[in-house]
Amino acid sequence: MNAVEMKGLTYTYPGASQPILKDITLEITKGDFLAVVGNNGCGKSTLCKVLNGLIPHFITGDFQGEARVEGLNTLENDVSALAQKVGYVYQDFENQIVRPTVLDDASYACLNYAFPDYLERGREALRQCGLEGRDNAYIWQLSGGQTHLLALAGAVCLRPDVLILDEPIAQLDPMHADRIYDVLRELNEKQGKTIIVIEHHTEYIADYCRHVLLMKDGRVQWLLPTREALQRVEELEECNIFPPQVTQAAHRLKKAGVLPQDVPLPTTVEEGKKTFSSLTFRPAESVKPAASVGENAISFRNISLSYRSVKGEPRMIFDGLNLDIRKGEKVALIGSNGAGKSTLMKLMVGLLKPQSGSICLFGEPVTQKKAEDFSRQISLVYQNPEEMFIKDSIAGDISYAMRVWGVKDWQERTDALLERFRLQDLRDRDGRLMSGGQMRRASLAIGVALEPKVLLLDEPTANLDIATRREIMGVLEDMKDIIQTAVIATHDMQLVCQWAERIIVLSGGNVVADGSRDEIFSRADLSKLVGIRPPEIFTMAQALNPQALCYTIEEFTRQFQEAAAWKS
Amino acid sequence: MEKLMNQLSENILDKFSMDYLRNQVLKNAYGNDDTVIAGLDPRILIAWYLFFGLVPWFVNDLSFLLGSFLLVMITTLLARVAGLVLFLFGLGVFSQTGYLFLVTLLFGGDASAVAPLLILTLKVATISLASVTVFSGLDPDKLSNGLMWYGCPERLSFSISYAYRMLPMLMEEFQNVLLSYRLRGNPPAHDTFSGKVRYLIYQVKIIMESFYPLMLNTAKRSRTTVEALELRGYRYAAVNKTVKKIRLSALKVTYNDLLFLAISVLWVALCLLCSTLF
Repeated sequence: MNAVEMKGLTYTYPGASQPILKDITLEITKGDFLAVVGNNGCGKSTLCKVLNGLIPHFITGDFQGEARVEGLNTLENDVSALAQKVGYVYQDFENQIVRPTVLDDASYACLNYAFPDYLERGREALRQCGLEGRDNAYIWQLSGGQTHLLALAGAVCLRPDVLILDEPIAQLDPMHADRIYDVLRELNEKQGKTIIVIEHHTEYIADYCRHVLLMKDGRVQWLLPTREALQRVEELEECNIFPPQVTQAAHRLKKAGVLPQDVPLPTTVEEGKKTFSSLTFRPAESVKPAASVGENAISFRNISLSYRSVKGEPRMIFDGLNLDIRKGEKVALIGSNGAGKSTLMKLMVGLLKPQSGSICLFGEPVTQKKAEDFSRQISLVYQNPEEMFIKDSIAGDISYAMRVWGVKDWQERTDALLERFRLQDLRDRDGRLMSGGQMRRASLAIGVALEPKVLLLDEPTANLDIATRREIMGVLEDMKDIIQTAVIATHDMQLVCQWAERIIVLSGGNVVADGSRDEIFSRADLSKLVGIRPPEIFTMAQALNPQALCYTIEEFTRQFQEAAAWKS
Repeated sequence: MEKLMNQLSENILDKFSMDYLRNQVLKNAYGNDDTVIAGLDPRILIAWYLFFGLVPWFVNDLSFLLGSFLLVMITTLLARVAGLVLFLFGLGVFSQTGYLFLVTLLFGGDASAVAPLLILTLKVATISLASVTVFSGLDPDKLSNGLMWYGCPERLSFSISYAYRMLPMLMEEFQNVLLSYRLRGNPPAHDTFSGKVRYLIYQVKIIMESFYPLMLNTAKRSRTTVEALELRGYRYAAVNKTVKKIRLSALKVTYNDLLFLAISVLWVALCLLCSTLF
């Protein structure tokens, strides 16, 4: 029996003129580990909500065709019957947790469905999700990754046969992301659960998933085994899905005639070792970036800061931190979840005051002034764009700071910003109602409105598809002349490698490494210590030749060629 | 001196930051789950509260009131109530009766006004402290289970624990929206007195304006929460009697509960005895 069967399913949201799902016919086998990929807004999440019955029982709309989950017709069974067959973890999973303590939340659904052994089931789910021993912890004591595992445990406790996860690792550092996927693999292999993930990190798809389902404009394009699916580079790129870097590199080399036309494209580093074995490495002339000797833009001296805790001693974040950021630098701030990246940024803009030590912005102490006094020199773009929208339209939000600061030509400048960030058509919309990429662009426009000399971005590419990510990076490049100094806190190592000139690694409130990408990524101890991981293409190049330091696909394809090519 | 004043005003501002409030709310709800009071059965504690929350209104006997006050003071200490709550309690009692005493003195009254005022103050204080003990000594879940046992609808008890789950999140969100205003705003200069007044007005205005984005953000978040609640059987449980039974079966009266009741009864009896003797 198949875990999921759909026949001629068409669904239109209430009030929408176009159906979002169009004539979907689909079979997912039991015990599969399936990745659903597709452009933003192509109906991936909607498809998953059909499976747990939220559509059409909770969200109405026009529903035609048939969907069966584990043999149950979703139209004939209500949400509670289906919920025991299908577990669902949302993208904004923290909003799915409703109880204050871990065990309480993990067993909540079982209690509601009146299982007398609800606590035992909750404990079992926590064990399966690797949260053993945290039974009585409060949810705000958990890290981002653990919170996600708890949301998963809350779904697993009902012992569903199918588990659906919407973008499970969008906000997580690589170490936590691996953890989630390892848990999922175990659930899949040991418990025989069918797992469906909506995912655009194709490296993870290559490593963990068995099949890939491509959706486009509400239709199913195809459902193929992972290796075969990821070979279809052009088709995927058309939908803004970027195959693993190894695959992309091989695809380009094949097109350039460097690799023979009949070899299958590799999807993982292991496979790549074989495919690329015929190539030899020639180091590129290394262009040493000029060591910046500019004056300090921001300097931290002996900063100590702790947060109040609900119980017991205050939690120490920084203890005697020293750091200088010079004018004109492009700095990436990396480190695992909770390493203090966001806190450091809030200190820079004066939103948080350290308990001791001093922070200077262009030589002026920040600690004695209010955040408002610096808003023309330094700007912070939050990780969560919603929190930056304080007016009821995007145009109002962008112009707010310019108006209150009496910038003369604020109207023209607002128009210019709207145009630059492609938001003209949305100017009167409320920011919250836009898509993830649009919100991110709007938050950037708000951040640069006062043309600050220093721009701080907190996780600017989290939750974004690759196309929007490229766009954001393009904007950063465009605005080089205005924004002299930029600091980005991120987990996105591709962004770090392409953009940053200096990388600062934070761990446990200390700067554990600080330098160029060569200095950071060639240190093996760092990745163990703080769970950062170079981009896949770097690992690939290293596996082929330990001397090779390639950070982008372009560098890789340039530096790895046929032996003959080098001679000529 | 000026430096001291500066420090003081900064400290007060610091104390009332959103972060502090959030911390106090959490502390109040969950920070004291290992105290004697938190370990008691919520049903016993609610019954106990019914006595100390109602009876003092109708009794004017000084030694009884004094005794009850001492008892609830001890229970409040045992419950390790958060500082902010105690401060609000102090402020509340003063605003109820303390100022009356000051006014009496101001208009030529003398110490004879103390006795009747003392009785009123004791009543208010006893009742408030009893409430503080129960509502902040117990964590919200135990409290709502206790209420459910007494027949309060399940939705009420869910609301209590859910509100406590949401409150810190709301406050964090509110803080971030406020910070957005601070990051982009241009407040009036506040060196002079009139500047300070304008600054205050500006701040109040900002706080009011912050509610709009806060509400919208919350609405957006709750969309997921509502769906998740549906999936996790919240509505299903609301109409299912077995669920209630399972949930309440976790409540148990222990030796400690009986001891607590016994001490309270003995103490009250002792107070009554005193009042008849003297």
